[in-house]
Amino acid sequence: MVIKVENLVKRYGDLVALDHLSLSVKEGEIFGLLGPNGSGKTTAINSILSLLQYDHGSIEIFGKPMTPEAYGIKRDIGVVMQNVAVYNELTVYDNIDYFCGLYVEGKEKRKKLVQEAIEFTGLQDFIGFYPKKLSGGLLRRLNIACGIAHKPKLIFLDEPTVAIDPQSRNKILEGIVELNRQGATIVYTSHYMEEVEQICTRIMILDKGRAIAQGTKDQLKDMITLGEKITVETSGITPEHIERLKRIPNVLSVEYNGVLVISSGKGQNNLEYVLEFFKKEGLEYGKIYSELPTLNDVFLEITGKELRD
Amino acid sequence: MFSHIFKYRMKCLLRDKETVFWTLAFPIVLALFFNLALSGINDQETFRAIDVAVVNDEEYQKDEIFQSVLQEVSTGESPLFNLHVVIKEQAEKMLEDNEVAGYLMAGSPVTLSIKQSGLNQSIIRSFTDYYVQNMATVASIVQKDLGALDSLVNDIENQVTYIKEVSATSAEPNNILSYFYSLIAMACFYGGLQGSRDVSDIQANNTDTAARLNLAPVHKMKTFLTYMSASLLIHYGKMLILLLFLRFVIRVDFGNKLGFVMLTTFVGSIVGLSFGSFVSALLKKSEGAKVAVLIGVSMFLSFLSGMMYQGMKYIIQEKAPLLSYLNPLNLLTDAYYSLYYYDTYSRYVENMLYLAVFIPVFCIGTYLIVRRRKYANL
Ligand SMILES: Nc1ncnc2c1ncn2[C@@H]1O[C@H](COP(=O)(O)OP(=O)(O)OP(=O)(O)O)[C@@H](O)[C@H]1O
Ligand SMILES: [Mg+2]
Repeated sequence: MVIKVENLVKRYGDLVALDHLSLSVKEGEIFGLLGPNGSGKTTAINSILSLLQYDHGSIEIFGKPMTPEAYGIKRDIGVVMQNVAVYNELTVYDNIDYFCGLYVEGKEKRKKLVQEAIEFTGLQDFIGFYPKKLSGGLLRRLNIACGIAHKPKLIFLDEPTVAIDPQSRNKILEGIVELNRQGATIVYTSHYMEEVEQICTRIMILDKGRAIAQGTKDQLKDMITLGEKITVETSGITPEHIERLKRIPNVLSVEYNGVLVISSGKGQNNLEYVLEFFKKEGLEYGKIYSELPTLNDVFLEITGKELRD
Repeated sequence: MFSHIFKYRMKCLLRDKETVFWTLAFPIVLALFFNLALSGINDQETFRAIDVAVVNDEEYQKDEIFQSVLQEVSTGESPLFNLHVVIKEQAEKMLEDNEVAGYLMAGSPVTLSIKQSGLNQSIIRSFTDYYVQNMATVASIVQKDLGALDSLVNDIENQVTYIKEVSATSAEPNNILSYFYSLIAMACFYGGLQGSRDVSDIQANNTDTAARLNLAPVHKMKTFLTYMSASLLIHYGKMLILLLFLRFVIRVDFGNKLGFVMLTTFVGSIVGLSFGSFVSALLKKSEGAKVAVLIGVSMFLSFLSGMMYQGMKYIIQEKAPLLSYLNPLNLLTDAYYSLYYYDTYSRYVENMLYLAVFIPVFCIGTYLIVRRRKYANL
């Protein structure tokens, strides 16, 4: 077990930011912490890293208790924090070299590592730039390079793609998968379910400091009753239509406001029935499509609210 | 590890424009400004010959001794008088028009006419009194030995020099130096900005880079001490530049104890840095707010030690003597001051010892706050 957290409690005054959070991360995983803004992702990471004082709980990393003085553990950890943490007075190269040098002794070795980090994040053309001159995406990449240059065995990434254009975002996600392929265990937080779904091998969903579910994405989706969601762009739907649609076997709910959304449970696929229904009734329709449940649906079903606002 | 952190810290600090401005550019600009504002006082320091008229009448023509004495004090390298030999009406008119400070008339005794009182007038009066009092002696000496005239003139000149010095205390040239000493002391304290930055850059609840540092496998205090030593080196370097500037561009006279001035500046830099780090550790504010507080406090302490108004220093020494010991900036100013004024070192050493007490106070205070390794908030 790379990380083992038990019953972690963290309060900010009256606010319980982490409510008996327990989690474990195995070697080689890309562990996703998914939760809306303010759900406690950053608090969890900072507590695990022994940066934050917590009220209760135990934390082990690499099988040893994590403390601020656990330098042996820290040496093998890389952190990409939510806020960009670089020195404005240092160039891209110097920033990476500085932070790398806190972990790695030996000039030659460090030079090689820094070079690799630069290539990995695609910053070759910007090594002489000062952070103020970098675009948001490049700055994020620098932030990542500073966190991973020393080739850590365990990497924490706290919303590394926030406020990034889709192209840069994909680059970053690919990079994370590559790091994992090279052997690093990864803890990844985000409030974008697509990202988490895309790269994480195991996911924990957080809400209000509590773990409300965890597992692989398929396991999570299996937890809920929703199996299929059919959306039809149509007009002229009457309450009577809705009543009759609801009678199709396995249909859980039918909602209509401009578009018709038919949710069905697991097992039976209902797209065929719905198409037939439209034909029989002689109803016109535009687009019609069927979706499998997303993590948003999981979150919605468990908490009763949307993951994204 | 030390050299790695040290090197990059130096790079950071040297490129930190705000700190460089406050610790180097600002004191230099202020020094230039002082120099301009104080050059007026400088003028008074160099004595200028006083315009005096003497009435060219029969008495004057007869009185050869009076003539030669006046001649003597109105010529040479730094003459006392700028003499105008004129007829009586002319002399009166010149006095009326303030072209001369007074006019003399030969006779027994010699008489002086002035319109108002002032430094120049009292110098002429002293001269006249002295001359009249010694007239009797003069007459006899001169009859016996003409060479004795020289010694009389010398006497008079000595007397006059004395008057000049006594009168000049109101515009003591020394005051100018005090302003510059306060300025150096203030600049030392602006080093506090670097001390403050060192704290901010190591406290994870202050900056994001500090949070990153706290995650690295390097002891926090080790990083902090490395930061502080880089700061000290850079700050002291900047202070030496300031001293050079003051010495060679503004031509401030540090006396012949330059070594001590440099030592004092070194200690001052340490006090400034540790002061800044302590204040920064105490305040849980943004970096901008910390800078504002530090600059404000340093300015206020400089004010109390007489940087804006020289009299302040003495008012405090009289009304609240304890305050002058509790104000490290004042101790520093006074240390420079006593280096220049006293040949002995007792007052200097006293100041430095009091000053030295502040260093451990600030450092331990900072340590107690900074040593914490986990934060309740980030
Ligand atoms: N320093 C603090 N003082 C008081 N409350 C805090 C502090 N930091 C965080 N919180 C609160 O703790 C809760 C968890 O915050 P946290 O930053 O961990 O959430 P998050 O999941 O990382 O959110 P985001 O997606 O916005 O980064 C929030 O309600 C937040 O308001
Ligand atoms: Mg967060």
